[in-house]
Amino acid sequence: MVQKKVKTVYDVVCPFCGTLCDDLEVDVELSNQEVLEVRNGCQIGTKKYFSSNVSPHRFTKPMIRKDGELQEASWDEALDKAADILVKAKRPLLYGWSSTECEAQGKGVELAEILGGVLDNTASVCHGPTLLAKQDVGVPTSTLGEYKNRADTVIFWGCNPVHAHPRHLGRYSEFVRGYFKRDGRNDRTIIVVDPRYTQTAQIADMYVKVNPNEDYELLNAIRAVLRGVELDVEEVSGVSYEKIKELVEVLKAAKFGVIFFGMGLTQSIAKHRNIDTAICLTRELNDHTKFLITAMRGHYNVTGANTVFTWNTGFPYSIDFSRGYARYNPGEFSACEVLMRDEVDATLVMASDPASNFPQLPVKTMFKYPLIAIEPHKTPTSVNADVVLPPAIAGIECEGTAYRMDHVPIRLGKVKEAPNGCLTDFEIIEKLIEKVKEKKGE
Amino acid sequence: MSIENMTLLTGRTISQGVALEGGKTTKENVRAAAICMFDKEDFKKLDCIVGTPVKITTEFGEVTVYSTLTEEGPHPGIIFIPMGPWANQVVNPQTQATGTPTYKGMKAKVEVAKSAKVLGAVELISQLKEA
Amino acid sequence: MAEIKLKLKEEPKFPLEADCISPDKFAGKSLDEIKALPVYHANEQLTLGEYFDVSGKSAEKDDLKIIIDGDLSKVKRIGEGMSGGEIVINSDVGMHVGNNMSGGIITVNGNADDWAGAMMQGGELIINGDAGHYVGAAYRGNWIGMSNGVIRVKGKIGNESMSWARSSKGKKAFPVLKCGSAAAFLGVHNHGGTIVVEGDVDRCAGADQAWGSIVIKGKVSRVLPSYKKVGEVKEIELPNGETVKGKFVEYSGDHTVKKETNGRLYIAV
Repeated sequence: MVQKKVKTVYDVVCPFCGTLCDDLEVDVELSNQEVLEVRNGCQIGTKKYFSSNVSPHRFTKPMIRKDGELQEASWDEALDKAADILVKAKRPLLYGWSSTECEAQGKGVELAEILGGVLDNTASVCHGPTLLAKQDVGVPTSTLGEYKNRADTVIFWGCNPVHAHPRHLGRYSEFVRGYFKRDGRNDRTIIVVDPRYTQTAQIADMYVKVNPNEDYELLNAIRAVLRGVELDVEEVSGVSYEKIKELVEVLKAAKFGVIFFGMGLTQSIAKHRNIDTAICLTRELNDHTKFLITAMRGHYNVTGANTVFTWNTGFPYSIDFSRGYARYNPGEFSACEVLMRDEVDATLVMASDPASNFPQLPVKTMFKYPLIAIEPHKTPTSVNADVVLPPAIAGIECEGTAYRMDHVPIRLGKVKEAPNGCLTDFEIIEKLIEKVKEKKGE
Repeated sequence: MSIENMTLLTGRTISQGVALEGGKTTKENVRAAAICMFDKEDFKKLDCIVGTPVKITTEFGEVTVYSTLTEEGPHPGIIFIPMGPWANQVVNPQTQATGTPTYKGMKAKVEVAKSAKVLGAVELISQLKEA
Repeated sequence: MAEIKLKLKEEPKFPLEADCISPDKFAGKSLDEIKALPVYHANEQLTLGEYFDVSGKSAEKDDLKIIIDGDLSKVKRIGEGMSGGEIVINSDVGMHVGNNMSGGIITVNGNADDWAGAMMQGGELIINGDAGHYVGAAYRGNWIGMSNGVIRVKGKIGNESMSWARSSKGKKAFPVLKCGSAAAFLGVHNHGGTIVVEGDVDRCAGADQAWGSIVIKGKVSRVLPSYKKVGEVKEIELPNGETVKGKFVEYSGDHTVKKETNGRLYIAV
């Protein structure tokens, strides 16, 4: 019987969602670098580890489209073809970046600047509105550890952590004992605001059913009641005036409250104004008690992408380099808009799957022009690409830094080796930069 | 049978998250994300069994997915498709100059499509390339 | 007035950034010098003459009228920062027309794309069609937007127009926006802007208004719950001295900002 040589890696940081759990344990079989077991992770994080095992779903060699089919190619050939596409483009879009580590993201900024293209990350379809609101009204916020230790009133507005951030409730916001919250769940009041009675709402203390796309008016009413104004209404957004007043009393009675919010606010029609008013509410609650607000960031390192882009260019996403310096204007320079307006002539996608996650209109445009995918797996984006460059998976097969949803940077470890020959995201961008510079004659 | 004027929401489910990490080209992904969740009472109006394919049409497109009952109701008037390539055939791409499409709150019509085929992710998206 | 005529030779494939087109930049220059001014097309810098036929004669800024023909829907930043003179655009025009302008008149005989008149500090912007989102608005991260000047749009304007506008009684600076109809969040974070709408307005008009006057002669989809009815009026006096006559319900708001406020929203009866 062959003995399996198994290594267990402890304190593994999970590269899936913005909760960035740092307590996973992974068993790796050393001879073929196969993940055998993952402990402590949620279902999704666990699956991500298993998906790193070599399988028909994973690319282990670069691919170039020849005669309509993706065919294996050498790294040199594929990188050369990709660089060629980028150099020939007059307005290349470099998109994605949220599921890789910070050093690679920084290299991406460099590449976009050299090409004079458009640089955008997944925040533009997700929490971009949150960033716009923060730029308008600021944000009173803190770290997850503080919430775990102090918060007695927790509001989930337009988010569903049971499904999207499965261990958030158990590590930071609900079912966890904090330093000043020794009784855990019993020391907290959980409020959920959502059009649906989500599974997060089903285990909350108070559920507020709001009409879809009408969160703004409800937040607006709450702020006015908080100011002591008598409203001339019987109900707002499907919530009775009585319930609104009750909710305001609950918020004022908190000793330390936090609002967590998600796509329910950022992707419904009022977009960043929903967040703007939620932030203003949080600030105004501080006239009565202590209240803070944090966005439930989706990808494990989208916060990193925003942070890295900001310290390099001054701006967090939707950046244009076409005039030789960084300019910022979400909408004008966002991936979906530049695609829908047909203002792009090549796309590089790194650590993302826009073909799955964008509405169909921008995807149609993206497919009209050369597409390079830096992607380990077969996805609707990568199988339709002209060049596929398969990287080592950041946070599993290579080290790096990621930023949690509350901006705490955590070092990602290397748990196992990548399939033979796979370069890291950083190395791929670095080599692309070299080849682009060569072709531009620098 | 059909129902009109439903409000379509899209978003994360844990099964869809697991499926997308497991392989976007898999049947698991179809079962997790090519579905539309209905409120129990709304579903009765369709007069079909759970799992029957339904065609969802909005101002922005149409898509055929499997019908299922919600575990997060009651929410009469609201239908829910998990985020992903199927939902994205029918969401509102308009960003109102913010760059973020409007993934939630579209008005939708639902029609029972018993013999229609629900496409896999790659098949569905590759249609956009041919177009 | 001296006239310079520009005609777009061919529609650009990518947006063309032509912030060099303004009386300030053309003043006192020869035609050759004007043709050599820089324009930006994707990641290439080219010259105005490569994209436009240029004819006419230049003059001092305030005596100069620039007339532009051709389909300018992809041409951005025309009139950026201008402080005098005139521009007439005989078609639809791209984003950012008249942004940061402080004087002079721009007339668009067509529709304007997003950000028309953004950060305006004076002068007049006339759009004889519809306009996109963010008309007379503040650019991202700015909490002072339009501070003076007048924007008139005949048709419909998009979301968040006049965001963060700020008036100053001391400087007698009253930014004004007049339009046919408007989308959502008209005058969001308004600090003194005056807005008069001839027709209908979508939701959340006057959201987070600290002070200012918004007059709507048509219907609103709904009034924000934080606005309170004050009474009915037959005549409204606007800060810039104009009056509007008609039967209006007067609301005070936005009360999310202050318990007592001078901010007003008037909706026709």
